[in-house]
Amino acid sequence: MEIYVLVKQVPDPEAIVKVKSDLELEIENKYFTSFFDEIAVEAGLKLKEKFGGRVTVLTVDNRRVDALRRGISMGADDAVQIADAALEGSDQFAIARTLSAYLKDKPFDLILTGRQAMDDDAGIVGPAVAECLGIPHVHSIIGFEVDDQKREAKVIREVENGRETLTCPLPALLTCQKGLNKPRIPLVMNVMKAMKAQIKKIDLASLGLGQSDMSPYIKIEKYVPPPKRPPVKMIKEDFPENVRVLVKLLREEAKVI
Amino acid sequence: MSNDIWVLAEHQEGKVKKIVFELLSAGIDFSKKTGQEVAVLLLGSGLEEAAKSLTPFADKIYVMDDPSFTPYTSDAYLPSIASLIKEHQPSILLGGATSTGKDLFPRLAMHLQTGYSPDCTGLSIGEDGKLIARRPLFGGKVFAEMAFSEARPPMATVRNNAFLVNENLDRSATVISVPPHIDPSLLKKKVIGFEKAPGAKLDITEADIVVAAGRGIKAPENFKMIEDLADALNASVGTTRATVDEGWRDLKDQIGKSGKNISAKLYMAFGISGAIHHILGIGTCKTVVAVDNDPNALIFNYADYGIAGDLFQIIPALTEELKKALAADR
Repeated sequence: MEIYVLVKQVPDPEAIVKVKSDLELEIENKYFTSFFDEIAVEAGLKLKEKFGGRVTVLTVDNRRVDALRRGISMGADDAVQIADAALEGSDQFAIARTLSAYLKDKPFDLILTGRQAMDDDAGIVGPAVAECLGIPHVHSIIGFEVDDQKREAKVIREVENGRETLTCPLPALLTCQKGLNKPRIPLVMNVMKAMKAQIKKIDLASLGLGQSDMSPYIKIEKYVPPPKRPPVKMIKEDFPENVRVLVKLLREEAKVI
Repeated sequence: MSNDIWVLAEHQEGKVKKIVFELLSAGIDFSKKTGQEVAVLLLGSGLEEAAKSLTPFADKIYVMDDPSFTPYTSDAYLPSIASLIKEHQPSILLGGATSTGKDLFPRLAMHLQTGYSPDCTGLSIGEDGKLIARRPLFGGKVFAEMAFSEARPPMATVRNNAFLVNENLDRSATVISVPPHIDPSLLKKKVIGFEKAPGAKLDITEADIVVAAGRGIKAPENFKMIEDLADALNASVGTTRATVDEGWRDLKDQIGKSGKNISAKLYMAFGISGAIHHILGIGTCKTVVAVDNDPNALIFNYADYGIAGDLFQIIPALTEELKKALAADR
């Protein structure tokens, strides 16, 4: 089974991210592999263990290849970085076109990725890649098994009022949600090996793409700080008076009940 | 080319979701500025009740009736919506930031080669009449105002409670029946099972009121107190990553960075210390109440009202007090 996993290195949830100017952020230098992408790598490795084949991790990033090294340390066979000056500032749709240009003539059975990257929280790239490649996708899966003979995946996805089970023919793209599995912690030895692993680097020209293919569909016009909550009003009365005060405030001041 | 604002009407068990009425109310607000009409897309089968409930909120309802729309798959929805969009060229397409919206919209946008801004918390129309979408990044540490390319229509999915439902609308939508574009050979995904979540509560992303407890509640069975409080308020019950990882609660109720972002009108946190992972999931809630034993808990920095006190005393007393207060209203 040929499996490709789309991964991204992103600021750690603990990292400080602040607005520096309208179009610039200040991001603390604390990065990790987007958690949902690690779940996707784990899902790919489990399939490889069952059916054999190869797992390739793939990223579009001009600077960071740590997510690829993380994938290799977990057990991925190959790592590919797509990097190009023309990718600077591109939107999620351009990234999806780029990934699809690389994947379109590869013999993939499954493409896996996280349900969203933990920086832009967009969740666009996965479904958009599936559209470019003309293959089915299922977003935010929490369970799946593959029937190699029938060339079909059976997946569970969470919807608002329950869980839905779908069948989906291969090749397909699945975006992975917490609950699907627990990503393995790589052995130190494998982390060391991954530091030295060869990473294939590919530019846009070799994919037949150029600057004109990168024109964005969406653009950040302006960064703004999050809305600030007024300082907390601590209710200092003793029990049970504090409970009565709270109910009164919720009804008469906040007017939410 | 029409100039309408379109909203995709998601529905569940015959009932149109609240987010749809919120988006239509916003759409009608925008249309007052621009003179546009507001239209709803309603796909499914047996849609009379749903269409009726939408009538005061829109000028047109495009109805596509076909059994293959129920339950939702992008395979069935996408070609039908895409062809209708190509025919009418609406000025905007909006939908809820739901499991359906997040599955369909990015793929539809790529198909139409148009811009899409996901999971927005605000929308506005700029001086030039163009859509501007506001959305959180990095789990809500910063927000971005998004602009769209010239391609039609700019698309956005929007979180619950970003807009108020305007109950006073009195449009009377014309129902326009549209033949669906279904190619059976393209229906690749098949829904073969559905397991309804236990209880009748709304998902935490859809509920107006969410009450939650964290590890401070000490044991899984103590969630009974939180459930009782939720019942008194007609609220849904959320929780933290810690209790989910302990196996106390289901993942679907986890609030925060690796769980769900909620936008409730009222969020009440009990015994939740306020780890950044959790705080990121409640940033767009309107009113936040925190109750914790520890007066220095971080959660108080992110709350509107706080009580430092004994949860096991306060929660049941609060439930009783609320029951009394709400009963007096009836």
